Amino acid sequence: MKALIQTLTETFGPSGHEDAVRAVIRAQVEPLADEIRVDALGSLIAVKRPVRDGGKKILLAAHMDEIGLIISHVDEKGFLRFTTLGGVPPRTLVGGRVRFLDGTPGVIGGEVLENWDKVHTMEQLFIDIGASGPKDVRVKIGDVAALERPFLDLGKRLVAKSLDDRIGVAVLIETLRQLKMTPHEVYFVFTSREELSSEAGAAAVAFGIEPDLALSVDVTSTGDTPKGHKTDVALGKGPAIRIHDPGVLSDPRIVAWIDQTARKNKIPFQRQVSTFGTTDARAMQASRSGVPVSCLAIPCRYVHTPSEMVDMDDVQNAVKLLVCLLSAPVEI
Amino acid sequence: MPSISPFLKTLISVSGLSAHEAPVRQIIEDKWRPLVDDLSVSRLGSLHGLKRGRAPASPPALVLLAHMDAIGLVVTQIVDGFLSLAPIGGVDARILPGTPVIVHATGNGTHQLPGLVVQPAASLLPPSARNDAVPLQYLFVDIGLPPRRVAELVQVGDLVAFATEPVELAAETLSGHSLDNRASVAALTVCLEHLQGRAHAWDVWAVATVREEVGLHGAATSTFQIQPDLAVAIDVTFGKGPGASDWQTVTLNGGPALGWGPNIHPALHKRFKELAEKLEIPFSVEIMPRGSGTDGMAAQISREGVPTMVISIPLRYMHTPVEMIAYPDIERTGRLLAEFVASLEVDFTARMAWDE
Repeated sequence: MKALIQTLTETFGPSGHEDAVRAVIRAQVEPLADEIRVDALGSLIAVKRPVRDGGKKILLAAHMDEIGLIISHVDEKGFLRFTTLGGVPPRTLVGGRVRFLDGTPGVIGGEVLENWDKVHTMEQLFIDIGASGPKDVRVKIGDVAALERPFLDLGKRLVAKSLDDRIGVAVLIETLRQLKMTPHEVYFVFTSREELSSEAGAAAVAFGIEPDLALSVDVTSTGDTPKGHKTDVALGKGPAIRIHDPGVLSDPRIVAWIDQTARKNKIPFQRQVSTFGTTDARAMQASRSGVPVSCLAIPCRYVHTPSEMVDMDDVQNAVKLLVCLLSAPVEI
Repeated sequence: MPSISPFLKTLISVSGLSAHEAPVRQIIEDKWRPLVDDLSVSRLGSLHGLKRGRAPASPPALVLLAHMDAIGLVVTQIVDGFLSLAPIGGVDARILPGTPVIVHATGNGTHQLPGLVVQPAASLLPPSARNDAVPLQYLFVDIGLPPRRVAELVQVGDLVAFATEPVELAAETLSGHSLDNRASVAALTVCLEHLQGRAHAWDVWAVATVREEVGLHGAATSTFQIQPDLAVAIDVTFGKGPGASDWQTVTLNGGPALGWGPNIHPALHKRFKELAEKLEIPFSVEIMPRGSGTDGMAAQISREGVPTMVISIPLRYMHTPVEMIAYPDIERTGRLLAEFVASLEVDFTARMAWDE
């Protein structure tokens, strides 16, 4: 599974530009699914059909896009000003490297600050593609880049860019692989455009599929670092049920379903109420006449930096939990 | 006290935080059952009461939306037996310390545990938080039990609801938590009572919506499901209090506020205004220059669009445990809604014109 995670995180796919990562995922799920399609906003939908009628229509959504940068101005010396696709904290950028979709590399520099106690604002940063004259500048306004950072295997723990949410993508692929039989019609969906605050990909997917219930599979920040976030969620203690966040109120019946299934199968899990961020579940819950939702989250340190960290035990337990959830009937 | 008083006091004495509305829904269901022809619950938990119209062959449909969910708190962490909190909806944290609450504990069976919101001593707060109202992130709930017992009973995600008792004050005013928007549920109930024995052509859907405080999900999904021809959202608005201006607030006990702005269809506003004038029901006009911030916003853009009206009950101290309303405003709002329903001609929507 680590090799898959490495390939997924080293592939580029900023929001709205998911072609490359979708191709990687498609190659993985095509042999496993009963049906594959790509919807109008670019989400990849893999359907696993039930052994017989009478189950639920369940939607699992992991977003395949990642945060990125988009060029807003190019000067004659080849310095590129940019804005962001999704929530990129400027403090994570100085000295970083980027790669454009056509392969062009660049580094991020910053203006000299009058007060070095402050961090650069986005407006004080630029991308330098090493041009020695106007002829070398092939990048145009609107071109898209992603942060570049190699995958790092620390044994039990993995570090990479875009583990938000390629780790969710990997969990869904592995769940589809391990799910032998299910009473449900299960839609494994790799959504586009989650990082763009309106979760447009998931909104379109939920409207199109009309599921009986839906789960987003995403990452969640932990509190297990020095003076970290105010939460007990830690790496290695199991996947987290994100019960509430500022955008999502989980359906209490789904929380109970996940909680009881994990206990019954002795799979470790954590409960979380998050005071920031949200997931694809936000768009799915208010689709059409309403969809009961929740979010199963992989605990992750340093979310939205180029070095996100997860624990392989949590990843494997998330797969195990999803397989258990999908293998038995459910009344909701 | 007016006849709606006992029902409203019951409504604000049960919990029903956003996405957890079952307790209050049960109370409303019991009250509405004899008043409507059909009752059902939506997939997200909104209560739909249908009172059929008399128009022959598929009458047009009107939805009346009043959200029944309430703001509150949820447990994020348990530290040494004290509960850390996050808001559900827009809680005004300045007024929380000292507020009685009920913790709906689910850690070991279900228990309703009384507690109090407390703030740490100033010396324990970072300097930036010492001289001002203490932000929610530093507040706790104390339920009086030893830490080990708390850890057994309470878990992350358990709900914390306000437990302030309703207080009836002079001049037919009522104070308590969750009057936003249980006061409107009461007004909708008054409307249904007025409609008993009245002829009306339109189908009327009385809907007690869920999740308004966190994203208008109930109104969005119920309007999608019902596919009405018209929608009216009933909510509360800022009543004039100490120091507040006349142009930003409406008078408590001054009658319902009729919304006017981009969320409102002019023909609906006109009909409500004309009816109020004819019936000598006092009212004010509330300018809503942007979104109304109510269920009406979600209803208006459902499917191909729904002509929408917003009507609001004046309320002081919004989103605190001591909200305040005047009973006569509830009666007036309910009566005006009923008269509106009864006034609707079968071809009302066909005759609505933008250039009137």
